[in-house]
Amino acid sequence: MTMPGRKVIMNFEVTPTSHSLEEYRARGGYATLEKALKLQPADITKEVTASGLLGHGGAAFPVGRKWGVMKPIPGEIHYLCANADEGEPGTFKDRWILENAPHLLVESMLITSYALGVRHAFVYIRGEFDLPYRRIQGAIDEAYAAGYLGKPVFGTDFALDIVVYRGAGSYVCGEASGLITSIEGRKPYPRNRPPRLTVRGLYQKPTVINNVESLANITGIIRMGAEEFRKIGTAKSPGTQLISISGHIAKPGVYEVEYGYPWAKFLDEDCGGMLHGAKMKCVVPGGISTKVLTRAEIEPLTLCHESVNPAGSGIGSGGMIAIAEGTCMVRLLQVLLRFYHHESCGQCTPCREGMGWMHRIIDRIVEGKGVPEDIDRLYAISAANDGTTICGMGDAAGYATVGILNKYRDEFEYFITNRRSKFDGRLECLA
Amino acid sequence: MPRLTIDGREIEAAAGRTVMEAATDAGIFIPYFCWHPKLSVPGNCRICVVGVEDKGGEWVEIACNMPVTEGMVVYTNSEKVRARRKATMQFITLNHPVDCGICDKAGECTLQDYHYEYNGERSISVDAKAHATKHYSLSPRIVLDNERCIQCTRCVRFTREISKSNGLGMQNRADHSLVRAVEDGSFANDPYSDNVIDICPVGALLSRSFLHKARVWYLKPTASVCPGCSRGCTVNLWHRRPEWRLRAPGMRAQNETIDRVTPLENPAVNGPWICNKGRDIAKVLGRARAETAMLKGRPAELQGAIAQARSLIAAARKPVAVVSSWASNEELAAFKAALGARFSVLVKADHEPEPGEVVQDDILIRADKNPNTAGARALFGEAPLALPPDADLVLVWGEGLDFGLIPAGAKIVYLNAWLQPENGHADVFFPTSIQTERDGHYTNFAGVTSAFTQCFPRPAGVADAQALFAALAGQAGGGE
Repeated sequence: MTMPGRKVIMNFEVTPTSHSLEEYRARGGYATLEKALKLQPADITKEVTASGLLGHGGAAFPVGRKWGVMKPIPGEIHYLCANADEGEPGTFKDRWILENAPHLLVESMLITSYALGVRHAFVYIRGEFDLPYRRIQGAIDEAYAAGYLGKPVFGTDFALDIVVYRGAGSYVCGEASGLITSIEGRKPYPRNRPPRLTVRGLYQKPTVINNVESLANITGIIRMGAEEFRKIGTAKSPGTQLISISGHIAKPGVYEVEYGYPWAKFLDEDCGGMLHGAKMKCVVPGGISTKVLTRAEIEPLTLCHESVNPAGSGIGSGGMIAIAEGTCMVRLLQVLLRFYHHESCGQCTPCREGMGWMHRIIDRIVEGKGVPEDIDRLYAISAANDGTTICGMGDAAGYATVGILNKYRDEFEYFITNRRSKFDGRLECLA
Repeated sequence: MPRLTIDGREIEAAAGRTVMEAATDAGIFIPYFCWHPKLSVPGNCRICVVGVEDKGGEWVEIACNMPVTEGMVVYTNSEKVRARRKATMQFITLNHPVDCGICDKAGECTLQDYHYEYNGERSISVDAKAHATKHYSLSPRIVLDNERCIQCTRCVRFTREISKSNGLGMQNRADHSLVRAVEDGSFANDPYSDNVIDICPVGALLSRSFLHKARVWYLKPTASVCPGCSRGCTVNLWHRRPEWRLRAPGMRAQNETIDRVTPLENPAVNGPWICNKGRDIAKVLGRARAETAMLKGRPAELQGAIAQARSLIAAARKPVAVVSSWASNEELAAFKAALGARFSVLVKADHEPEPGEVVQDDILIRADKNPNTAGARALFGEAPLALPPDADLVLVWGEGLDFGLIPAGAKIVYLNAWLQPENGHADVFFPTSIQTERDGHYTNFAGVTSAFTQCFPRPAGVADAQALFAALAGQAGGGE
């Protein structure tokens, strides 16, 4: 989707053949790799750190800091994994990269691997992604044929192999340690930290796991240089964010937004406003694990971390869901909690028991059998999950629940008292 | 060595130790379900939370996976920690059936104890409990109640890290997760499988042989040594407490049987584990007993049999003794002192590996299926079991010798505890006591000596081997 502002990733016209190696090279593809291989690996890490690139997987952890923890040791095995297990509901931005710019990811992984002393890299892609899988596998095959992968490139002694690993679509596989456990062929139980994965990760070796979009930015950063990259976006959120917007919106899709873009303008102008001209009730900013914000709350905000975080939410994974006036938030929370219950891996106690418990409570409320204490129970379970689980999923479900309860408590109370929804249990947006 | 403070007590712990290990070493208790000193750290039960002081105040983290650092300040019982534990106990008991009244684990259940210690309140849930399979047959030996299971994965890790059978795994996700055996039957064939019953912190894994047999508070553990092989694992033999014995007539069998066998932790021999054969050792010890002395198959008074044996020993020109490797060191020493000079002595294996039994592995099981071969050989030498053809008196002690090997015409004096056909073929037969009826020591293959203790009184008519040898020696010495 077209947007004003500078672009790092969506900077070409998508055509039926624009993902091919030929056209990628015509756009200047793999020239950045050649440039990068003339630098020292440490300089690339320094450049990425200087660029201030923040992780795009949801937690916005600085990429350079993650890389910095992994000190490449000559002779030691290191791994790189691209996290293409895009499972956060509402998020489908990585799919765009995998489908339309697979070579950008391959080139970025080559540069990253060179910087981190990696010889073997993995793309962990969720099993439901069919076209993205064929596109990325096709791109890797092309890169092997063209000599970018599998053997030393551009006269250096650096060579890289990339393996695409297809997951079976479990949400926790998108959690970095669950992801590598899955690659190892085991049930994707997330691991306790310490040790950090950059110390002991895949096959007990130091491993860097980055989101697809974070990695896709690397080529741009090296091409234009950190200084130039920092001019895009804001001081604290450099660069751009791919936002995948869905829900009750007129023009859903993936947009590349320069950080600092006014949020209301993005929704009203670039996305064409709400579906059927409806009024907007609230928006899920970045995947359902971030707290919802009402229309009034987002009015003064711009799309960047320093603006959204103080409002009590976050850009997260960029999976935005617009929700129209007249949507039943109780039913919405039911959908979310069904998802979390279904996807809890069942490893640690608070999440394993808590997700099922919250799901049973919300189901009971929707059946019209809710009791007033249920709201307190949902709060208590969310609080007991906050920070007590092995991975972030327990916290995430709590945030989502508390986010909705805080703002729409009256709808829950109405449902419990009257045994019916305030909005006919509607989730769709009527014309 | 980092120095840290736990609950105001300054302790020192080796670098790389976790807070849990450091606290345990210092005698400070931190509750745990999933953690086990011999297994890897999964950190999934979340009950071992402790407070750690940091710049930003106190934050709560699990103790089992937190390495000690210099100057660390840890609280095991702060308000935050208590609140977290309470919440975790609410989660753990959420779908637990709390059917302690019919649960074999009741009385020695970690969940029961922790409920009183750390929660003590009703569930705040009003929803129905999630149901799962009950009485699921995990293997021919083990029954699983999935509703009681708290998914600590100790059993799964045991089969992966200790017994190496990889026989168990977790199936499904969330609160539908189930412990299940691998389809290839490796768990049913795992010779150490029953250890998962002991390490299960709740009553989910149950022994089929002990199922609903007794409430544990009616039982008493007696320290003993497993006679199943030359490892000599230390075990607890559980039998009815004397004060709770059943007084109705005909209850001797119930009062004097071994209800179950559990490992008695011993780092020098078996650690906290034993094999399944050891669990079933009650079947070996509980076989039908010989309780009357016999002369050529005819019941006789003990004193008459002793007199007959004395005269046989006195008359023998070349007496040979074949001693038992199931005898205690004390009995063997008594034999040597009383009759060692009169007999040439050979050591026999009472038991050989049975068909289908695991002969030897690199965990615990040894090929020599007798507990005290080392003790017997230390006293009587390593000579192979070959009876001289000119022997005219053979004293056989214990089962397992083929009487066909005894030279024709030689007189036989036989000591055995069990009711067996050979008993009637001996010229003189003495019934002897078994391990549970006396105190003693066994020396295992590595030279480690372990003690066993008497559980039951010796039945009337059964001889004590030590006294018997002295009685036999009195006549043999006097006749010379």
